Amino acid sequence: MLSFRHLKIWVGGAILALLVVCGVAAPLLAPRDPQMQTLEDRLRPPRWTKNGLPAYLLGTDNLGRDMLSRIIYGSRISLMVGAATVIFAGVVGCTLGAVAGYFGKTADEIVSKVSEIFLAFPFLLIAIAIMAFLGQGVGNLIMALMLSRWVQYCRVVRGEVLSLKERDFVTAAKALGGQDFYVLFRHVVPNTLASVTVIATFGMAIVIITEASLSFLGLGVPVHIPTWGSMLAEGRSYINRAPWLTIFPGLAIFITVFGINLLGDGLRDIFDPKLRRQR
Amino acid sequence: MSRDFSRRSFLKAGATAAAAIAAWPRYVLDASAASRDRVTIFHSSVADSIHPYNHSSSPIYGNWQHVIEPLLEYSVDRKDFVGVLVESWQFQGNKWVFKLRKGVKFHNGATFTAKDVVFSVEKMRDEKGGSLQAPNFKDVAEIQTPDDYTVVFVTKQPMAVFLDRLDNRFVLSKEAGDKFGDKIYENLIGTGPYKFVSYQRGGNLVFTRNDDYWGGRANIKEVVFKKVTEDAARLAALESGQADFINNVPDHEVARLKKHPRVRIDQVEGQRMFFFAFNMAFKPWDNKLVRQAANYSVDAPAIIRNIFDGIGYPCNGPVGANVFGADPKHKRYPYDPKKAKELLAQAGFPNGCDIQLYYSAGRYPKDREICQVVAAQMVKSGFRVELISQEWALFWDKQGVNGGRLPFYYIGRGGLTDADTLYDQYFRTGTTKRTNYSNPEYDKLIEEQQRTSDSKKRTQILQQAGKHIMDEALFIPLFNLADIYGVARNLEWKKRPDEKIKAWDMKIKA
Repeated sequence: MLSFRHLKIWVGGAILALLVVCGVAAPLLAPRDPQMQTLEDRLRPPRWTKNGLPAYLLGTDNLGRDMLSRIIYGSRISLMVGAATVIFAGVVGCTLGAVAGYFGKTADEIVSKVSEIFLAFPFLLIAIAIMAFLGQGVGNLIMALMLSRWVQYCRVVRGEVLSLKERDFVTAAKALGGQDFYVLFRHVVPNTLASVTVIATFGMAIVIITEASLSFLGLGVPVHIPTWGSMLAEGRSYINRAPWLTIFPGLAIFITVFGINLLGDGLRDIFDPKLRRQR
Repeated sequence: MSRDFSRRSFLKAGATAAAAIAAWPRYVLDASAASRDRVTIFHSSVADSIHPYNHSSSPIYGNWQHVIEPLLEYSVDRKDFVGVLVESWQFQGNKWVFKLRKGVKFHNGATFTAKDVVFSVEKMRDEKGGSLQAPNFKDVAEIQTPDDYTVVFVTKQPMAVFLDRLDNRFVLSKEAGDKFGDKIYENLIGTGPYKFVSYQRGGNLVFTRNDDYWGGRANIKEVVFKKVTEDAARLAALESGQADFINNVPDHEVARLKKHPRVRIDQVEGQRMFFFAFNMAFKPWDNKLVRQAANYSVDAPAIIRNIFDGIGYPCNGPVGANVFGADPKHKRYPYDPKKAKELLAQAGFPNGCDIQLYYSAGRYPKDREICQVVAAQMVKSGFRVELISQEWALFWDKQGVNGGRLPFYYIGRGGLTDADTLYDQYFRTGTTKRTNYSNPEYDKLIEEQQRTSDSKKRTQILQQAGKHIMDEALFIPLFNLADIYGVARNLEWKKRPDEKIKAWDMKIKA
């Protein structure tokens, strides 16, 4: 099973699984409370360097908080925001896209125009605008990201449904007396899942980066919740004296996004019929 | 033809573009490194609006003073007021008589007279028009102008501290006001050493030299103030030569910058006092026991020691030791979370209480860190603190501090040389809405010292008022910090503790 062809999926999946374990088991894995400030130990370098303390594997930040624990807890926000956004945006986008594609006419007009309006805004800008309007908070953050992410699902599903609904199996289902919604959600939508899965994995990577960007700009979750983006933002002014404040959260974001992209790439290789034929 | 373009012309154009891109940073560096004609100042707070009276903040006074000037000014060297647009003054009972400087011209050529003073005070008193400086004239009953060069302020009662209120009250041209009407601030005309060129929303100010300045021509021709709230961004600009002057250098960078070939560090004990203010119109801050508990929960010396590497001066009373009216007998509430917990329980919060702490990240040195540390300190005594950072304009204006909308906030009072300034502005009934405190006995003390011209007696009354503030725990005094400036080595200026940066005191060595 572990063929070279599937290497991308295995590596990507392993990274994602590790992230999930980190997030779920954070209280067990983190050596300390991520909020606990020990001002006397502030700006300690990682353990293996000259001034490092054994208690802090990755050193401490500007308020004497344990970097490792904060990174572990930070994975929770990244994961939760990433997963929740992808699921909500996916459900909303797929439903609207399927309805627009299947029924056409007015429904299609409305959905397409609305999604074009959303598409016209730069993605990060719309998220910033929504966060500024709603205020800080994890729920609001997910809402903002979802509002700016659903369009992609909607467009892809609409396109697929447009071509699927002309196929014989759909006509057959209708001929057997299937109601519109039954045919749509029982026979048409399941056939779009392959593309949706690929969009969702890539989408998750984008969402994690956007969450970090918003936290970096101070528009994400409240300051007391550790996130990778806000750790980067706080560490930035110490980049000369204490580079580990930015290196480790940066690495965490990089590895996560890399892993998810790898997984998405692998999934696309399997699902994309064009690529499949070339092999 | 089109084929030709797609190869040759493309390559040519590409090569030109590449060369331009390669040369561009070098060109920019040369253009903005301290030249003899221009100084570029990256500052954490530059004017938030084009309205020069829509603030009450020391560094912003300094910005506008390039263009519009005050009647008089506090001189740190002489520890007294010195005339700028006035030559002399007299205190006569409930009258202050000012003799104006003659031969001063506005940038539009008009002569400076008493009419301009009256006009400007009207603008400052116009709160509906956006001024935040009206409270300074709260006790003024009438302004008389017996002749063109005499202005008499008649106060409701004798007011010994009036000179302090006139510090930083800048004078506009009435002629420009008549000409431009509502657009007067977009066409700012003053008497200052520099002329107004442009303002960009977000805080970029550009001034150019006034060659006919009455006080003698400045050395530097053009001044650019750019608002940059990120410490790291200001620092990077200074090191790369994009900026010649920055404020609020983070103390953890001082040691490194002292070795920098292009940069000098200038450090001075600041007049700005930092504190946490309660708005007593909000629960639970109406309760004295809760306010005392909060005072017992904050460890200011630990913040200085750890966050500021020891560079700072904790307050022992309601004002710093160097301020007029300070009382050496005062002691700050010691850090004692146990005692705080008891007080909270007595006040009816045995299980602690939820509070919100507002601040404006990037405004003051390490504000975000201070608030996080204090939140963690206060948790130990049972306060559950939610931190909320707001944009400065929102935080400070009618929606925020000055509208009495924020229950608990981190703030600094700059240019604090006389305790009366703080005591009146924050705690006297009705002066501002910043704390909504009201106590007739306290008001009486403040009014009495403002009438008193004998400085010994005034000190005594101020000390009494200070004791009242400490006993009632009206706020949480923290500390004064060092103002740390990063300056290009070839730039000379006069260090000041009041956060003003005056380009006309600057000189660039060849």
